[in-house]
Amino acid sequence: MTSSAFMPLVRRFIIPLVLILLLVLFSVVSPYFLTVQNLTNILVQNAYVIIAAIGLSFVMISGGIDLSIGYQMSVVGVVCAVFMKWFGMPVAPSIALAILIGVLMGLTNGIASITLKVHSLIVTLGTLTIYQGLSYIISNQSAIINLPASFKYIGQGFVFGWIPVSVLLMLACALTAAFILNVTAFGRMIYAIGGNEEAARLSGIPVHKVKVVTYALSSFFVALAAIVLFARSGSAASSTGPGTEFTAITAAVLGGISFKGGEGRVLGLVTGVLILGVLGNGMQLIGLNTYAQYIVKGLVLLAAVGFDTWQNSPKTKRKTV
Amino acid sequence: MPFLALSGLSKTYPGVRALDEVSISFEAGEVHAIVGENGAGKSTLIKTIAGAIVADEGTVTIAGRSFADLTPALSRAQGVEVIYQEFNLVPTLSVAENICMGLSTNFFPDFKRMRETARDLLAEFGVDISPNTLVRELPSAQQQLVEIAKALAKSPRILIMDEPTAPLSLAEVDSLFAMIRKTKARGTCIIYVSHRMDEIFAICDRITVLRDGRHVATLATGETDRDTLIRMMVGRELTRTYPERSGSSGDVVLELDALEGNGNAPISLSMRSGEIVGLAGLVGAGRTELAKTICGAVAADSGVLRLDGKEVVFRSPRDALVAGIGLVPENRKEEGTFLEKPIRWNISIGALRFLTRWTTINRPAERKLAEAYRDRLKIKTPSLGQKVGNLSGGNQQKVVIAKTLAARARVILFDEPTRGIDVGARAEVYALMAELAAEGIAILMITSDMEELLGMSDRILVLHNGHLVGTLARAEATQERVLSLASGLKEDKAA
Repeated sequence: MTSSAFMPLVRRFIIPLVLILLLVLFSVVSPYFLTVQNLTNILVQNAYVIIAAIGLSFVMISGGIDLSIGYQMSVVGVVCAVFMKWFGMPVAPSIALAILIGVLMGLTNGIASITLKVHSLIVTLGTLTIYQGLSYIISNQSAIINLPASFKYIGQGFVFGWIPVSVLLMLACALTAAFILNVTAFGRMIYAIGGNEEAARLSGIPVHKVKVVTYALSSFFVALAAIVLFARSGSAASSTGPGTEFTAITAAVLGGISFKGGEGRVLGLVTGVLILGVLGNGMQLIGLNTYAQYIVKGLVLLAAVGFDTWQNSPKTKRKTV
Repeated sequence: MPFLALSGLSKTYPGVRALDEVSISFEAGEVHAIVGENGAGKSTLIKTIAGAIVADEGTVTIAGRSFADLTPALSRAQGVEVIYQEFNLVPTLSVAENICMGLSTNFFPDFKRMRETARDLLAEFGVDISPNTLVRELPSAQQQLVEIAKALAKSPRILIMDEPTAPLSLAEVDSLFAMIRKTKARGTCIIYVSHRMDEIFAICDRITVLRDGRHVATLATGETDRDTLIRMMVGRELTRTYPERSGSSGDVVLELDALEGNGNAPISLSMRSGEIVGLAGLVGAGRTELAKTICGAVAADSGVLRLDGKEVVFRSPRDALVAGIGLVPENRKEEGTFLEKPIRWNISIGALRFLTRWTTINRPAERKLAEAYRDRLKIKTPSLGQKVGNLSGGNQQKVVIAKTLAARARVILFDEPTRGIDVGARAEVYALMAELAAEGIAILMITSDMEELLGMSDRILVLHNGHLVGTLARAEATQERVLSLASGLKEDKAA
């Protein structure tokens, strides 16, 4: 096998390989790691992160970034709780309305970033702050506890007694996202815009429309993630949600979603989240404290990015003409 | 002994001999014009003197020292300063800081002295700009004067100017000429690259004509005239062969009625189906700008566009493409292709609306489409899954053309269709264009290649400075007439 044929393979399999290595490593060093209970826990704990990261990945593949997803989740969760507990609305319409509000926040991000013509990093830094304010005003800075049981079922319940509802939802989201990205014309356009926006425009792609819809779609998944997260915790406070953006960005970059846009697959993204999840869980089990975990996770991210830069450098990249 | 001597300089790029054994001598205290068509080798020549590119063969001798591989630093150390066409100032810094940039290597800059240096310099050359102004606050003409002052602050022994008057109005041209005369009196050798004949005759002592990378002649300004120069600049050997064309064309498809915008004056023209219309002009004449206006990439300010006799308004390239107008852009890599994506993907991206059913892309249809265009355009690749970035320039260009055809364009605007592609691919592109025209597609071809222009066009339109200055039928088009029109000279003068 020549090195030019070898490199893309390394690129493709290095991330799953890292996950497998971590699984083996922790299975060896901790007797509590390789149990159905523990592995299920990892999936349940990370279901909402994966769903949120899927949402974010749409925006990232189109060449943008959305820093506001954490506070979008906060708003969606709080609004949903307010509908159910303070307004006494049934669970299903509350969820639907909350998700609709999430989509509106995404639309706002999209419209703002194309009309202001500023990098989405700055735009969503602005909207992040707005959504933060909104969330605290709506919740009146209080925690809303004792959410209805049928709501909590989404985050805590099981189907057939052993399949977590949140994990099923996560799988459904991953499949839907993979379908949109790989099979539909819309997905193709997202990659095109992220790959070369001007070429996309000159090739007849309605760049602005696609971007706005991308933000809205992204926020739809983020809102679902919020429902899963709040249902798991069983209560709603404005401080729940923020921080997810950084885990999601880390996982996306780990999973091969290029920061420049135009690249990335859902499976890679899921693997990225699971690496972080397994790392956190495993380190917990072997007794490393939270702060040491931060350091390791940061190093893993830098290593992944460094590897990507190295294997994309002209020296490593063989030219074929 | 000449102050600057070029001897036997040659430089070859894939498919182009940019410089071909060029030897020229420049004296201290002279203003020496370099003239030639687009692509004659002017830019390559000045970049070689500046050390920005190294010639394959030949030497540059400055004040008796010979260099075979000059670097930018070495060139600068010999007192060479270049004013390029591109903007090279830092817009957020003051005029004084820009002018004095690179003069002192002190860790703590002496702002007071910088201001004084700048003020003295500007006053000496009679330029009325405050040294404290930020460069971004100046109009572009004054920025250009600052750019020149910045070069003069280094007290250069050789000053190279590439089209220095392009952003200037008449008044500033006078200040520029005053600056040039003073600098010349100090014994600086000035190399003045321009295609504005009146300026060359006003300021230059000698004129060197380049053509196809070769040195044609060096003449004293007093011993020559415009017509002689134009004849020398063109006189190109027409060696390539072009596909036979029937020359019959159909109905008018595209009509511009005083279409104005993107920096161009109102332009009216019409194109028939099956016709190849050449669009000529010097760099900066507004050709690409016109194409971008037609294809909806830039909105028109006023005027009317008619397609098949019906008035249309394009708000985006998508509108134009759906109506049947496609652009094959000048910058393949930046505007035409998705380098990281497969060939199949690149070909189908503009045709998704024909390949999609219930939002889903029909993969077998997509593959068939890509295969059909691969075969038709002879795209050489082991697989349609190959990344476009891995293809040669010629094959990349074919992919861009395939993409435009797949989107079912009936009017195709080719912007420099054969730039940077090798001879074989070039012939294939010509054959393809002829074939498309025979099928009834209307082609607008922007080209800086005179031979291609004359060889392919049924009709030639010439732009100068944003104005449509002439239309030449195939039979009456000559290199001299095209270049006279493009240089802004009156038609009858050169004919």
